Amino acid sequence: MQESTLNAIDVSVEFAGLKALAGVSLTLTRGEIVGLIGPNGSGKTTLINAITGQVRLAAGRVTLGDEIISGLAPRQVALKGISRSFQIVRLFNNMTVVENIEAAALARGDSLRAARTKAEALLTEFGLAARADELGAALSYGDKRRVEVARALAANPSFLLLDEPAAGMNEAETDTLLHTLAALPKARGLGLMIIDHDMGLIMRLCQRLHVLASGRTIAAGTAEEVRRDPAVIEAYLGHEAAHA
Amino acid sequence: MKRHILTAAILAGLVVLAVLASQLLGIRLYDRIVTNLCISLVLVLGLQLFMGNSGILSFAHMGFMGVGAYTSAVLSIPAQMKGMALPDLYPFLQGVELSPYLSIAIAGVMAAVVAAVVSYPLMRLSDAAAVITSFALLVVLYTVMTNWSALTNGPRTLFGLPKATDIYLSAFVAILAVIGALIFKESRTGRLLRTSRDDERAAAAIGVNIPALRWRAFVVAALFAGIGGALWGHFITSFSPKAFYLKETFVILSMLVIGGANTVTGAVVGTFIVTIAYEGLRGLEGVLNEAKVTGEPVIGLTEIVLALAMIAVLILRPGGLFPTREIGALLRRRMETRK
Repeated sequence: MQESTLNAIDVSVEFAGLKALAGVSLTLTRGEIVGLIGPNGSGKTTLINAITGQVRLAAGRVTLGDEIISGLAPRQVALKGISRSFQIVRLFNNMTVVENIEAAALARGDSLRAARTKAEALLTEFGLAARADELGAALSYGDKRRVEVARALAANPSFLLLDEPAAGMNEAETDTLLHTLAALPKARGLGLMIIDHDMGLIMRLCQRLHVLASGRTIAAGTAEEVRRDPAVIEAYLGHEAAHA
Repeated sequence: MKRHILTAAILAGLVVLAVLASQLLGIRLYDRIVTNLCISLVLVLGLQLFMGNSGILSFAHMGFMGVGAYTSAVLSIPAQMKGMALPDLYPFLQGVELSPYLSIAIAGVMAAVVAAVVSYPLMRLSDAAAVITSFALLVVLYTVMTNWSALTNGPRTLFGLPKATDIYLSAFVAILAVIGALIFKESRTGRLLRTSRDDERAAAAIGVNIPALRWRAFVVAALFAGIGGALWGHFITSFSPKAFYLKETFVILSMLVIGGANTVTGAVVGTFIVTIAYEGLRGLEGVLNEAKVTGEPVIGLTEIVLALAMIAVLILRPGGLFPTREIGALLRRRMETRK
């Protein structure tokens, strides 16, 4: 459970012959924040799905420390301490907010009472205490996103993979979220990987960036290195801009 | 469970009220109707326990009611009657003559055991596939009941069950069923199973073992069905496999769908409404036929009205009358907003 690195090694994923990922390698260490960026359709979400066991690998493997975890079911990956959120929010809509968060703690073996205590602490931390008794379906979009992150944290993950956590949030909400997320690796000793299209958020939050395009890694490094990388500029802005 | 004490009290109060009303009025017909109502409650609450928490429609429930009814019959029909009631019965069972109360309990366990064995592989299925296999399971159970003559007397009517179920016993068991369904809903199993009802992928992503939890709920639901079936058997004292098939499945389902499958409150309220409507319409049918309003006798009015009511609920209020919150929680929220 205390493994300190999560590794994708030469991971390839195919959908009906189409290569969604072609030999991508990436390491996430506990205590750091890595941004996963790239144009639409570059394979970012597929990489999270591959790591969490939701799609089968065509080649390569995923390891937690030395242990190979690719081939496990999503449920088993979750129980290894890897939590995720979804690009399109997936809350338990007919359950209350507090029940949503409690469930993740219960699934990891917490007692009913411990799960309640943990959920209440997380609700306060995410500014959702007033919403505790609302149904998941009744929340605003930004609140749903927050509940999803809080729910992922209730499992005490070693690694947290967030798929566009700030999508649909206004600027103030994004800012609050940024501060909450920035504090997580130190406070909880977890490794955080974030997909987002908000470059401002990504640049301010992440120590390391990993850039995908058409299912391949085109750059990786610090925010500054990646920003200057011609391949990245080309992928984002087109061929002309790279030479301008 | 603590948060549902108010709900449990209100729902149990409804049952007690129904019993009191029938006893005070002193009409034997009402006594029979309330006993039937309480038995239906046990069955519908069992179905709610599985459907409401897992989100999967199950047609197989009535089959387990049948397993319970026949189990209790075989164990409790007096030895000297068994030669006539079950002529082909296996010799080792011929001398068995348990107290009906004991045999009702064993019947519940038997239905649960059968469910545990047959359902494990089915619990991986979701959506339409799960519904169709549960229907197939009902057909299998019905076919076994009509053909295993040694234990069921085949398609013929089985008679000779000692009359053991009265209005008080059925009401007592119904109240236990209400409490049991609420406890299950708030248990670890119930909580986690409900996550899979709302979103299977997200449930798997937090580490929920969906097939195992569904299986547990299915087994407990069969326990309820088995006890309900045995109670009914010792009330009616003679029945045939037809009693555990499509028409009855439809009535039980309509009770749950109209009330709201996701809540225990919905199961109870739906059972009350459909029972009252059913009896009222049957009475009306009788009156119309006696008055010879039409040339032909009126048949099937009850079923048609129930079917229309179910369609109306599904269109206007797809989650039923109590789609998400229990009555106790609704009242508490109302009080809080008034403050």
